[in-house]
Amino acid sequence: MEAPKQSTIPSRIPVIDARYFQIIYLGSFLLLGTFILNWDTLLPKVMVVLGTCMVTQLAFIKVGKAHESSWMSSLITALGLCLLFRANDLNTLAFASVLSISSKFFFRIRGKHLFNPANLGIIGALLITQDGWISPGQWGSSVIFLFIMGALGSILLFRVGRLDTTMAFLIAFFVLEYCRTVLYLGWSMDVLIHKFSSGSFILFAFFMITDPKTTPDHPWARKIWAVSIAVLAFIMSTWAYIHTAPIWALFLITPLTAVFDLLWKSERFRWLKERNLNPI
Amino acid sequence: MKKVSVITAIMLFCIGAHAFCGFYVAKADATLFNTKSQIILVRDGERSVITMSNDFKGDVKDFAMVIPVPVVLGRNDIRVVNPALFSMLDSYSAPRMVEYWDTEPCLRYMECDDMIDVRSMSMVPIMAREESVSRKDKQYHVTVEARYDVEEYDVLILSAKESGGLKQWLIHNGYKIPEGAEEVLDPYIKNGLKFFVVKVDLEEMKARNTEYMRPLQIEFNSGKFMLPIRLGMANADGDQDMIVYAFTRQGRVECTNYRTVKLPTDRNIPAFVKEKGQFGPFYKDLFTKAYDREGRNSVFLEYAWNVTPNFGMKCDPCVGPPPMYQEFVDAGANWIDPNNPNNSPIFFTRLHVRYNRDEFPQDLFFQVTPNMEHFQGRYVVTNAATGDMSCSGGQEYLKELEMRRKNEVDELAALTGWKSPRYASYIYQYSAGIHEPKRNEGLPFIPWSTGGTVAGIMALALGFVVRRRKKALQLENA
Repeated sequence: MEAPKQSTIPSRIPVIDARYFQIIYLGSFLLLGTFILNWDTLLPKVMVVLGTCMVTQLAFIKVGKAHESSWMSSLITALGLCLLFRANDLNTLAFASVLSISSKFFFRIRGKHLFNPANLGIIGALLITQDGWISPGQWGSSVIFLFIMGALGSILLFRVGRLDTTMAFLIAFFVLEYCRTVLYLGWSMDVLIHKFSSGSFILFAFFMITDPKTTPDHPWARKIWAVSIAVLAFIMSTWAYIHTAPIWALFLITPLTAVFDLLWKSERFRWLKERNLNPI
Repeated sequence: MKKVSVITAIMLFCIGAHAFCGFYVAKADATLFNTKSQIILVRDGERSVITMSNDFKGDVKDFAMVIPVPVVLGRNDIRVVNPALFSMLDSYSAPRMVEYWDTEPCLRYMECDDMIDVRSMSMVPIMAREESVSRKDKQYHVTVEARYDVEEYDVLILSAKESGGLKQWLIHNGYKIPEGAEEVLDPYIKNGLKFFVVKVDLEEMKARNTEYMRPLQIEFNSGKFMLPIRLGMANADGDQDMIVYAFTRQGRVECTNYRTVKLPTDRNIPAFVKEKGQFGPFYKDLFTKAYDREGRNSVFLEYAWNVTPNFGMKCDPCVGPPPMYQEFVDAGANWIDPNNPNNSPIFFTRLHVRYNRDEFPQDLFFQVTPNMEHFQGRYVVTNAATGDMSCSGGQEYLKELEMRRKNEVDELAALTGWKSPRYASYIYQYSAGIHEPKRNEGLPFIPWSTGGTVAGIMALALGFVVRRRKKALQLENA
């Protein structure tokens, strides 16, 4: 196998860690959903998720010697949970939060997370508590929101070099859906466009599957990995009628990242602050 | 001011005929127009029970209906139910107006005698039609999977291989297919759906001596939890309204491919809205404004409550007796056991969707969530106290009342877009009773504002003179 290329991490503004952008974007989406789309985002629920995630992370920084800048990652995880996960009970949210953050430290292979933290927290809470749910329709299909989400997501992913993952996922899913919905079933294109204009779907594609700590290191491995998620999500949504199929597909495929990394070796991603302190 | 008593009233749109998930096919040129339908949706695991109340208006012999279903239904999966079930659920869960009375501010002793009066308007379902069929027609690639006589209905379950054949079969057998139905039939056929074709057994109707057709209920097991609204658009003209009464064990039902949003609720509105016939138009306009504001592609939550028979309070206030065991069982919630009320959880969700072809290209897909949060559409009218207002408390009350009524009129405009110069008379209806002191009693004929200014200037001048005098005395002493 050819020696893998070093992954190109754009660094036009190298002084700013990309996670700051992600925190601002996700925080803005949460405010947008709460105040414009009138979600039931109750302040106590948000505070419980943010608080639990940060306290858990702090415990691991102190006890587990985690990197100090990792508080940003836990804040991103917490915002992801606030955006995607709903529950009646505050304990369920706290449970999902602890599970998410803990997973980063307990489920590791060769220095990488075995699961996407927010994804594992959501799936774990869904399966164990029976008290949580995901509302895939909560974003609707407003073109403005989609544009904002897509544009901001693209800027972020360009900076961390994961735009390829999102594009591979979106293209693969679009091709599969086009073949079934339009070519086979015979629905008109607006049905397909409506499926793809779901805010939840776009948020997932740009902000969840692209976590550099859970995606394969090699660019080609990432593309294949993203296509696998798209194929599995398509099968689950089409034949098993699972409306939150991408979330489940990510949960099932993410552990395979370790296998992809073994097959296609490449430079390990590190956040800017980690790189500054621990040069590769 | 505190409430004295409560009166509630519910409203309903009184819109004529409608279609539901299927489409009506008229054999003769009956006038068909679809505006509103009501569906009861029970979901328990993969079991779905769908009850359809259709308000077909026309000659019963012209009635026919086609509904896509995921499986071939057995005879025991098809029933008719009492139409009163719909009116019961409708009147119980509809958005409500609550009426309060202010206490008399100048009366020391006030008896608070709470009472509830409920008014409701209900919808009367009507439907119709007839026809004959052959077992299998190879020419059209249509198979009659089953044929049942269900009370006043003749039911066929069809499967087809392509939409053109199904369309031709229906036309050949005397059904009039609406324009645009074919493009929708094709995806359903390829998706493996069957077609539940219903017409009226005229003999049975004669025997029953009525033209009212009862709602049909179907039951099946399928992973698909959806309503195929696209087929209903085939013979619909413009927007259609659909009310979904959903029952589950766990919690709320929500739409997964469109936003499910709450209607504005708990708003204070002017007392004149309670006048005869006003609440209906008020809610209709409120809904239309909310529908526009949310982008015309959302599903609205009108009511959500744990209605488990032994749960306790099921609304605040209730506008009718809550549905009990028999109603839930009739709706299809077969897990309800009157002998075991603690093990009969049931959650009621009422959704209202206004859909059309452009804004709702996809069918409606739903999911059951554990969300147990209660919600009801509730609009509050507060009647003013009308007794003696001469005391200081009464005067204060009248000023507050004027301000409150301004807010109510603003709220009304925000909710419905209703604006009128006539509303000023409502705001200032009792303002004449405010006896504001217009003159300075200490300085007759000088208004308070002018008097205050003059007094201030005089005080300053006096202070200045005193100070000058003091300084002069100090100089003299020095």
